[in-house]
Amino acid sequence: MLVVVSESVPLSRAPRRGRNMRFELHVCLALLAGLVVTIFWVATGGYFWPVWVWFGLAVGVSLHAVAVRAWAARRDRERSFRVKVEFCALVAGYQWIIWALSGFGYLWPLWPMLGMGTALAIRALFLYGDRLPWVDRKALVDRVDVLTRTRQGALDVQAAELRRIERDLHDGAQARLVALSMHLGRAEERLTGQPEVAALVRAAREDAGLAIAELRDLARGIAPPILADRGLKAAIEALARRSAIGVKIDADPDRRPLPVVETAAYFVVAEALTNVAKHAAGAAAHVRVTLDTDDTLVLEIADEGPGGADAAGSGLTGLRSRVEALDGTLVVSSPAGGGTTVRAQLPCGR
Amino acid sequence: MRAVIVEDLALLREGIVALLRENDIDVVAQAEDGPGLERIVAGHKPDLAIVDVRLPPTFTDEGLRAAIEARRRHPGLGVLVLSQYVEPVYTAELLASGEAGVGYLLKERVGDVRAFIEAVKRVADGGTALDREVVSELMRARQAGGDAGDALGSLTPREREVLELMAEGRSNAAVARAMVVSGGAVEKHVRNIFAKLDLPASDDDHRRVLAVLTYLRAGDG
Repeated sequence: MLVVVSESVPLSRAPRRGRNMRFELHVCLALLAGLVVTIFWVATGGYFWPVWVWFGLAVGVSLHAVAVRAWAARRDRERSFRVKVEFCALVAGYQWIIWALSGFGYLWPLWPMLGMGTALAIRALFLYGDRLPWVDRKALVDRVDVLTRTRQGALDVQAAELRRIERDLHDGAQARLVALSMHLGRAEERLTGQPEVAALVRAAREDAGLAIAELRDLARGIAPPILADRGLKAAIEALARRSAIGVKIDADPDRRPLPVVETAAYFVVAEALTNVAKHAAGAAAHVRVTLDTDDTLVLEIADEGPGGADAAGSGLTGLRSRVEALDGTLVVSSPAGGGTTVRAQLPCGR
Repeated sequence: MRAVIVEDLALLREGIVALLRENDIDVVAQAEDGPGLERIVAGHKPDLAIVDVRLPPTFTDEGLRAAIEARRRHPGLGVLVLSQYVEPVYTAELLASGEAGVGYLLKERVGDVRAFIEAVKRVADGGTALDREVVSELMRARQAGGDAGDALGSLTPREREVLELMAEGRSNAAVARAMVVSGGAVEKHVRNIFAKLDLPASDDDHRRVLAVLTYLRAGDG
């Protein structure tokens, strides 16, 4: 047994001489100890008890060998799995030897073997599951690639479309309505002698005014102009200025994320601040915006209100889908009496 | 009065030019982008520049930046900024960029010809013309600002109305016309407002507007 194990260890190839030397010393000492107890037995006679000493020494040496291999294989999942198999085989071997030395009774070593076998099989399934004939992992990977790419494409197209619609509204419908209202205004000025007609024209002009206001709200819902003009920090400051609560802002992104990320971030902050004003009136809010080293935009909106927010509320759910579509996460923590914190992470890289 | 106009959409630019000319305002030059403003202001020395916020090439706040720069370089030039949006940040920057003769109106206000022309003349004369949407944004922000909001809350609805009209830049007479009351009644309201808000009283219309705006803008941030 001793010989077999020491041969199976590729000691000469291991790069660390010190570790090998320690192992070789271990083997020598074990051999020496075995020899000593055997000589002692020869001198005294009786029951062949040194077999237990040999067994103990062999366990020590073989575990040492496995430890050396496990250390060498620690960064390689497949190699370390093989070491695990070796270790289980050794433990099973010890058990069979104990069973044999203790008089071949009930076949108890079967049970631990079964347990270790199951554990190894599960591990093997995780490691090599994709090699099973009925799992086409490559197709799955390809599919995920395609879905990731097309989702990104869809988001880019959507963002570009929204910007185009906003531009078109500004330069098209809104401008025409302004021109219409201007013409109506000029007409009204010339109708001083006909008050009834003038009143009609004025009503038409006021309707045009309402239409302009509605288009303005629509365009603002797509993205407020200050966001496109000045970036996230300025837009959040504008939000804070409009908010009915006190808002402290720490924002330091030194460069602007993609418009689609920036817009999502803006609406997360806007919705969170609206919620604070609605549910924690009087409480101050603190908005933190940071750009992580791994290119993730992190937003944190915290208040000192009563907490207990419903994370499944419709406003937050809508925001969550928006954030998740960008591969981000949105977490709401709102213990009763402990304030509410909305934390969103938005990856900015591709 | 001599005015220049910077607006990239021909439809609106020509409409406004026609409107101004009908009301005896001489439009001496037109431009379509930010650098164009500086060019025509330097070349024509007008009393007033009417500028759209969103201009090529960036289509962001190019016009606003150009207007602020023009105010800095040409003291005495009245600048009336037109926008399709109310953005209090932009209003604040514009107001902070110089003393007199400044306006910020929503574009659709050109439909109310008389009020628009009045605003144009006021700005050219060194007065102020703020859109009522801008004023109500400022009032909202000020009210949200805490203890100062209480002072606003102590105004009667009538006084509030007078304050808003004043903040738009109107004179006592114009406020009286808009509210259909006598000039004396307006003066009384104004005295009460200044006392309640603890503002220095002044007979000068423009200084008065500035005092009110300074008060309202103190609620910012």
